[in-house]
Amino acid sequence: MKRYDLIVIGAGPAGLSAAIEGAKAGMRTALFDENEKPGGQLFKQIHKFFGSKEHKAKIRGINIGGELLKEAETAGVEVHLSSTVIGIYPEKCISVNRGDHIENYRAEAIIVATGAAERMIPFKGWDLPGVLGAGAAQTMMNLHGVMPGNKIVMMGTGNVGLVVSFQLLQAGCQVEALIDAAPRVGGYGVHAAKVARTGVPFYLSHTIVEAKGTDHVESVVIGQVDEKFRIIPGTEKEMEADTVCVAVGLNPMSQLVRMTGCEMKEVGGLVPACDEYGATSIPGIFAAGDVSGIEEASSAMIEGHITGLAAAKYAGWIEEDTFKTQVEERTASLEKLRQGMFAPQNKGKKIEKTDEGLPVSASLLERGYMDANEMETYPGVVKKEGVHPVIECSQNIPCDPCQEACPFGCIKVGERITDLPAVTEDSVCKNCGACVAACPGQAIFLVNEDEDGTYGTVTLPYEFLPLPQAGDRGKGLDRSGRPVCDAEVVKVQDTNAFDKTAVLTMRVPREYAMTARFFKKEV
Amino acid sequence: MRIAKHPILGEYEKGRKVKFYFDGKEMEGYEDEPIAAALRAAGVTTHRHTRRNGRPRGIFCAIGRCTDCVMVVDGEINVRTCITPLKEGMRVQTQYGLSAKEGTEE
Ligand SMILES: Cc1cc2nc3c(=O)[nH]c(=O)nc-3n(C[C@H](O)[C@H](O)[C@H](O)COP(=O)(O)OP(=O)(O)OC[C@H]3O[C@@H](n4cnc5c(N)ncnc54)[C@H](O)[C@@H]3O)c2cc1C
Ligand code: FES
Repeated sequence: MKRYDLIVIGAGPAGLSAAIEGAKAGMRTALFDENEKPGGQLFKQIHKFFGSKEHKAKIRGINIGGELLKEAETAGVEVHLSSTVIGIYPEKCISVNRGDHIENYRAEAIIVATGAAERMIPFKGWDLPGVLGAGAAQTMMNLHGVMPGNKIVMMGTGNVGLVVSFQLLQAGCQVEALIDAAPRVGGYGVHAAKVARTGVPFYLSHTIVEAKGTDHVESVVIGQVDEKFRIIPGTEKEMEADTVCVAVGLNPMSQLVRMTGCEMKEVGGLVPACDEYGATSIPGIFAAGDVSGIEEASSAMIEGHITGLAAAKYAGWIEEDTFKTQVEERTASLEKLRQGMFAPQNKGKKIEKTDEGLPVSASLLERGYMDANEMETYPGVVKKEGVHPVIECSQNIPCDPCQEACPFGCIKVGERITDLPAVTEDSVCKNCGACVAACPGQAIFLVNEDEDGTYGTVTLPYEFLPLPQAGDRGKGLDRSGRPVCDAEVVKVQDTNAFDKTAVLTMRVPREYAMTARFFKKEV
Repeated sequence: MRIAKHPILGEYEKGRKVKFYFDGKEMEGYEDEPIAAALRAAGVTTHRHTRRNGRPRGIFCAIGRCTDCVMVVDGEINVRTCITPLKEGMRVQTQYGLSAKEGTEE
């Protein structure tokens, strides 16, 4: 039986980070993943991440994955791919299925970072070809370059449903509707808003009654539900679609770690009961990332680092002091992410006010976009002469790249990274577009409400192809995606620093400068 | 339907173009992409029919977990096409129950 000092199972953000810490401490570290390529969920995530600089905010998941891999290689982690771990035993052994044979390994410590699996909700016709997991759709388009379908109905408005809907639009698919049985959008409002403004309707308090078709989805029947989630008769509506994506949550993949006989508990799925450093009840067996509680990639990475350090300390590879100082730093960083409305401790709670005491936009939660007359409630939306940023950020989420992006000090996030960004009073915006491209939520616009008495301009983020060109004419769409005015593109910036978020400026009649938020070319 | 150019990912890195056969029909795909991706791009979505009721099934998880996408590949049944790389000349067949012959699923 081959021996290592540390074995890590799962090469997602948590596993990679844990393995890096182990190897850096001098441990002979092996990392196993069932896939052909490492990275876990990261390589499917092509959007810019939230958080602060220390959490790699503003960097796309796929690039974070690349960085982590390099770091793991440099640290000397041995990565075993196409290797499914099928057994794990309390004496710290594992059995690995390597395709044509099974091998066994032993280590001083084992870290389980197997991530999560998508949940499914059955409905009539759910087994038809064309009904698939949102993660599957993401895999098809972002890893393999194949559109999962043409006309898509997305079920679920959590971050996964919202993010994947946007990615489907980027891949060139049509998203017919977003459906959720809950009365309110579950994910970040900014993720919803960037989908809504392209014209995708949200149906909250709705569910899928049936996917129809003989050997493929041909249409989808949706219906409204009452507060007990029963379909209200007579509200059914049939829409043409060839694909249904299901994004109704994730379950921790804890079956493997459970084989060790460690204590388990129930929090949003069955997870191993761990101490603050990821140690399970079995000495030497640790867990990190989604497997020990669904969160997100940024927190999975920090958890991975902490657990890696804990395993190194357990096996005697680092001193108590080193452990303490390093873990303290990581824990502080993790705490910053676990703040705000979407923090784990607020799960399932109905939040009516922001930390600033402002009312949460009801329209954003019920329709996916903010109502024009709610806008000025928030500190990022001010009226000013000349060009100025309009930050349509109304929820306390851990994110602050906007503040750093502006070289002229126009934007200030408060003390905590979850505070709402504000436009500073006496600052002068130079219309550079840096904040527009930097905002992971695509919620910043540069607006000139009155250019010359007739027209105003709106500068917006644009991540679709074909990229409009200066001189293109079309319509300005409002936040719901409804065409409201004529618009002409006057400038398109697409620099390397903007990392593929093009910054497009359109001229609109001045009375629409605070309404038009997307551009659609005339065809 | 392949994504010709992606606003974030640009052009996709693909292997060389290869021919394969789906239920005897010649088709094209890229070497080492999952068989399921090549089929989806060619418009094929039914991978198998269930043993009991003959219900059609297609890609569901795309990461090798659900077995909805299994087909008969080069004579071998139950091959998960979403994680099996495509090779030149592969023979891919719709799976009926546990075989490649229609009408044998019951
Ligand atoms: C569509 C979508 C969008 C998301 N958007 C964001 C976002 O914007 N920001 C953010 O921070 N987070 C986001 N997340 C969440 C984030 O991806 C996850 O929280 C994160 O990937 C968890 O990391 P992990 O390392 O725990 O698990 P994973 O990334 O899931 O990695 C686990 C790895 O373990 C492997 N594995 C499992 N079992 C075995 C076994 N028995 N043997 C071998 N290998 C095994 C898996 O194949 C996988 O590669 C999103 C997730 C999804 C699905
Ligand atoms: S689609 Fe689930 S195993 Fe292939």
